[in-house]
Amino acid sequence: MIEVYNLSKTYGRIKALDNLSFKINAGEIYGLLGPNGAGKTTVVKILTTISKPDTGSVKIFGIDVVKTPEKVKNLISCVPQENNLDRELTVYENLLIYGMLHKVRNLKQKIYDALLHFDLQERREAYVSELSGGMQKRLLLARALISDPKVLFLDEPTTGLDPQIRRQIWDLIRKAKMEGRTVILTTHYIEEADVLCDRVGILSRGRLIAEGSPEDLKKCVGNFVLEKLDGDGRLIQHIFKSEEEAYVKAKTLGPPFSIRRSNLEDVFIKLTGERID
Amino acid sequence: MNWYPVFLREMIIFKRRLLRLGYIFSTLIIPIIYLFAFGLGIGKGFRISEYDYLGFLLPGLCALSSMNNSYTWVANSLNLNRIYSKTFQMFIQSPISAISIVFGEVLSGILKGVFAASLIVIVGFLTHEGFELNWVFILALILNSFMFSSLGVVIGMITKSHEDTATYSNFLIIPMGFFTGTFFPIEKIPIIFKPLIYVLPLTHTNILVRKDSLDFMGWLSLLVMLAYSVLFFLLGIRLIKGYSE
Repeated sequence: MIEVYNLSKTYGRIKALDNLSFKINAGEIYGLLGPNGAGKTTVVKILTTISKPDTGSVKIFGIDVVKTPEKVKNLISCVPQENNLDRELTVYENLLIYGMLHKVRNLKQKIYDALLHFDLQERREAYVSELSGGMQKRLLLARALISDPKVLFLDEPTTGLDPQIRRQIWDLIRKAKMEGRTVILTTHYIEEADVLCDRVGILSRGRLIAEGSPEDLKKCVGNFVLEKLDGDGRLIQHIFKSEEEAYVKAKTLGPPFSIRRSNLEDVFIKLTGERID
Repeated sequence: MNWYPVFLREMIIFKRRLLRLGYIFSTLIIPIIYLFAFGLGIGKGFRISEYDYLGFLLPGLCALSSMNNSYTWVANSLNLNRIYSKTFQMFIQSPISAISIVFGEVLSGILKGVFAASLIVIVGFLTHEGFELNWVFILALILNSFMFSSLGVVIGMITKSHEDTATYSNFLIIPMGFFTGTFFPIEKIPIIFKPLIYVLPLTHTNILVRKDSLDFMGWLSLLVMLAYSVLFFLLGIRLIKGYSE
């Protein structure tokens, strides 16, 4: 269980987090969804002890992250948004140093297993700069999981990856959940939050503006979206609870139009009037 | 304490640099230029108290070289890992204490400082017949590397960009190399500047490296170096404990 209470953080004049509170259940994949600058990375930095909040508290399995960060570090691992792999070390050495820092037992065997599992065995002696973007992400995930964390933080884990690699990463994230880990995922990819997360918190300007399962959130604003271009070429969207209501409205507007199922971006637009990307 | 992974990381990188001839060459080049320009060139025929000039210069060059290498390596490594590669996040998120991080970095800095000084010692044996080692000299070099590695941690943690590290180097480290008794005795410095010179840590290394045994002045310099080392080390721990992005 992760409990976040009244978290605030300011960088200069910019309020990154504004009295943010939410709870994450053990064993779920919780997504923090929002546009760039919404505060997602700040939340991850505070929860993973590399940033200190101005006010508020965070507890991970009952341990206070702000007051006793050293006690929580055994429980968590993080795949950061900015690749922080050691470019001066090889794939194997990256796993070795990380494992030693986390006092992982039977480390050599675990590194061997991780290299196999993440399909990096043939590149074990390669430097990070010699790996493709997808391989670097897999190495970041392998590194994070080698310490067998209870809680895994993934900050924009698939940004910049092509769709095929993205799906491979999604499979690895699902597997982490199946192994009993709690996963906190930040993303600005709607589909990612939709297909992976048990629950999603939507962040805007450092505040949580909605929370729930993707289905509940969509149901809340309406499951069907009517889209039509106006005379100036702008896309006009209307959200409806039922497909019938959408068709009734569409007939009044006249063709051409399209009706589709709503997604989390529609929820975000409905709540904030802004787009996510 | 779990300092070993921090130290091991630095040693893996150090070993790799050693295998490139360029590293040893660049470590040696500046002291060798000084040695030839001042020791074998300008200073030939000079005597400073009981030393010929080369005999005076060589211990100072060892102190200078150990300072440069231990300080620069640690300060640059922390600065780059913290600001650019972000590898430093990995240390902060790991269940190791701030003292382990500082100890691992400082120990690696000591090794690099002593290694660089050892290269000058070899050159010393090759170029000067009377050049010899004693335990005070070795102790002074180790403590000097400890002191400047710890200062490297402090500077590496407070700088906001890589250029900042160069600024500290240009305003503090390089002038210290020239005015604290490396190239000429501090007795030659105008009396008005002497208090400032005695405040600078390298002055005391330069006093110690030229002693055969610890007399009163030697003990005093040793205590000053120890005090600076402890101060920088504790400051480094405090900065890492307070780290926040």
